[in-house]
Amino acid sequence: MNSRTTGSRGSRRRFVNWLLGTSFGGMVLSVLYPVTRYLIPPHVAEAAASSVTLGFGPADIAPGTAKIFKFGNRPALLVRTVAGELRALSATCTHLGCIVQYREDLGHIWCACHNGHFDLNGRNIAGPPPAPLETYLVRESGEQIVVTKGA
Amino acid sequence: MRARGTIGGVSGLVLTAGLALAGPGRLDAQGGAAQGADNCRTCHEVITVERLAGPVKAYLADVHAAKGFSCAACHGGDPAVAGFEAMDPARGFVGVPRGRTIIQVCGRCHADAGFMHRYNPALRVDQVTEYQTSVHGQRLAQFGDTAVATCASCHPAHGIRPASDPQSSVHPLNVAATCGRCHADATRMARYGIPTDQRDRYRESVHWRALADRGDQSAPTCNDCHGNHGAAPPGVTWVGNVCGQCHAVMADYFARSPHSDIFNRMGVPGCATCHSNHAIAAVSDTLLGVGEGTICGRCHDVGVSGGAVAATMRAGLDSLGGAFALADSLLTRAERAGMEVSQAQVDLGAAHNALVQARAAIHTFRADSVGAYVASGLDVADTAIGRGKKALDDLRFRRVGLGISVGLILLLITGLILKIRQLHAPVLEGEP
Repeated sequence: MNSRTTGSRGSRRRFVNWLLGTSFGGMVLSVLYPVTRYLIPPHVAEAAASSVTLGFGPADIAPGTAKIFKFGNRPALLVRTVAGELRALSATCTHLGCIVQYREDLGHIWCACHNGHFDLNGRNIAGPPPAPLETYLVRESGEQIVVTKGA
Repeated sequence: MRARGTIGGVSGLVLTAGLALAGPGRLDAQGGAAQGADNCRTCHEVITVERLAGPVKAYLADVHAAKGFSCAACHGGDPAVAGFEAMDPARGFVGVPRGRTIIQVCGRCHADAGFMHRYNPALRVDQVTEYQTSVHGQRLAQFGDTAVATCASCHPAHGIRPASDPQSSVHPLNVAATCGRCHADATRMARYGIPTDQRDRYRESVHWRALADRGDQSAPTCNDCHGNHGAAPPGVTWVGNVCGQCHAVMADYFARSPHSDIFNRMGVPGCATCHSNHAIAAVSDTLLGVGEGTICGRCHDVGVSGGAVAATMRAGLDSLGGAFALADSLLTRAERAGMEVSQAQVDLGAAHNALVQARAAIHTFRADSVGAYVASGLDVADTAIGRGKKALDDLRFRRVGLGISVGLILLLITGLILKIRQLHAPVLEGEP
C-alpha cells in the first residue's frame, strides 16, 4: 500500500516535471522565433498598402489641378477634374516606370520621359505606354480623402 | 496553255464590261440576292468538287456574308436563276476576278464613301488610292506584274474578317505571317532580288516580343512601318518619321542632332543605322560608348571627339545607373526588414525619371544634355543612399539592442531556474 502510494507520487511528479519542461521550452521558442524572424527578414516584400488617408482635404485641390501623394511606397496622382470629380490613379507610367504628371494645359496626364499621354480614366491615349494606369477608388469622408485599391 | 490565255483575256474584257454595266447599285446587299433565292450557294454547296464547293463553306464566316452580300456581289451573274444560265456574261457574270480586276471589284464598294457609310462609317475608303502608291500597285500598273499582292492576297477572298478578329489574316498578331507568305518565300521573291529573312528577323525583335509575348497590340508589325495598302519600304530620309510615330522624343532629339544631317549626306537611314530594321534588339547602356560591342564604336574611335562624347555619355549613365541601383537596393533591404522608408522610395522615383530621360537624351549626341539629367538624378540618388544607409544603421542598432535584451532575459530565466533548484535541493547533514 505504502509502496503503491510512493510509486503514484513519483509518476505524478515526473508528469508535472514533463509538463513544466515542455511549457518552458514552448515559452522560450515563442520568444526566440519572432526575434529570429525579426533578425532575418523575409526575402519578399510585405503586401502593398491597400488604402491610404491623404494628408490634405477635398478643399485643398481645385478643379483642373492634381496632387501627387504616396500610396504605400509608390507615387499616385489625385486629380480633380474640371467638372469637380476626384480621381486617383497610379503615377507610375506603364512604359518604363517614370512618374507621370497632370498637365493643366492639356487637361490630361503626361509622362515627360517619352511623351506618353493618358486620359483621366488612366487610358493610354498616345505615345509608347502599352497599358492604362492603375486606377483607385476615391471616397470623400468629411474633411478627409480616402483612396483605396479596387477589388 | 494558249487556250487558257485566250479565255483569260476574253473573261477579263467581259469582266470589265460587266463591272461597268453592273454599277455599285447592283452589288447592294439590300438590292441583291439576299432578298431572293441564292442559287449560286444552293448549287455550289452540293458540288463534290472542293474547288467549287469550298468557297461557299468558307464564305459563311466572311464579314460580307454577315452583311448580306451574296456571291453575285463580286462574281456577278443572276442568283435568282438556277443552272448555268445564271453565269451568263449577259447577266453580269464575271467569274473569278484576277489581277487588276480584283482591285476594281473590291474598290467599287470600298472606294465609295457613300456606299461604305451604310455598312461601316468608320472604315477608310482610300485603300485603292493607297494601293496605287504601293510597290505592289506600281508594279501592277507599270509592268503588268500580276504576281504582286492584290486585295485577295492579304484578305482571303472568301474568309475576310475584320482586322480586330484574332482569326483575321490582318489581325496584328497575324500580319507578319500574312506578309511572310510571299516575302519569306525565296522562290517567289527570287525574281525581285530582295531579302526573304524579314519575317524571321522581325520575330527576333523587341517589337514582336512586345506584341506576341506581352500582348501589347500597340507594338508595331509590318504594316505599321511599311503601310498596309500603300506598302513600301520607308525611305532613307524619312525612316526617322516612321520610328518617331512611337519613339517621338528620341526622333525629335535625333532630328536636331548633328547625326541627322550627316546620315542624310551619307545616304544611310537615321534610326536603322544603329538599331537595325527588322531585328531591332532591346537596348541597353552597354551599346553606348566606343569599346567592344558598342554601336558608336563601329564608326567612332577612342579619344576622337565623337568617341569622347560617347564615352562621357556612357560614364554618366553608368554612374547614375549604379547610384540608382545601390539606393534602390538599400531601401528595399530596409523596407523588407520592417523599416519605414516609403517616402524615400517615392522620392527615388525622380532619379529613375532622370535615368530614363538621360537614356533618351543620348540621341542628342551631346554630353551636356545627358550630363544635366545625370547630375539631377545623382543628387536624388545620393540623398536616397544616405536615407537607406541611415535606415539600415537604425535597424542594426535596434537588432543589437534586441539581442542584448533577449540575452539578459534568458540569463535572468536561467538564474531563476538555478535559484529554484537550489531552494528545493535537500539539505545535507553538516551543511549550515
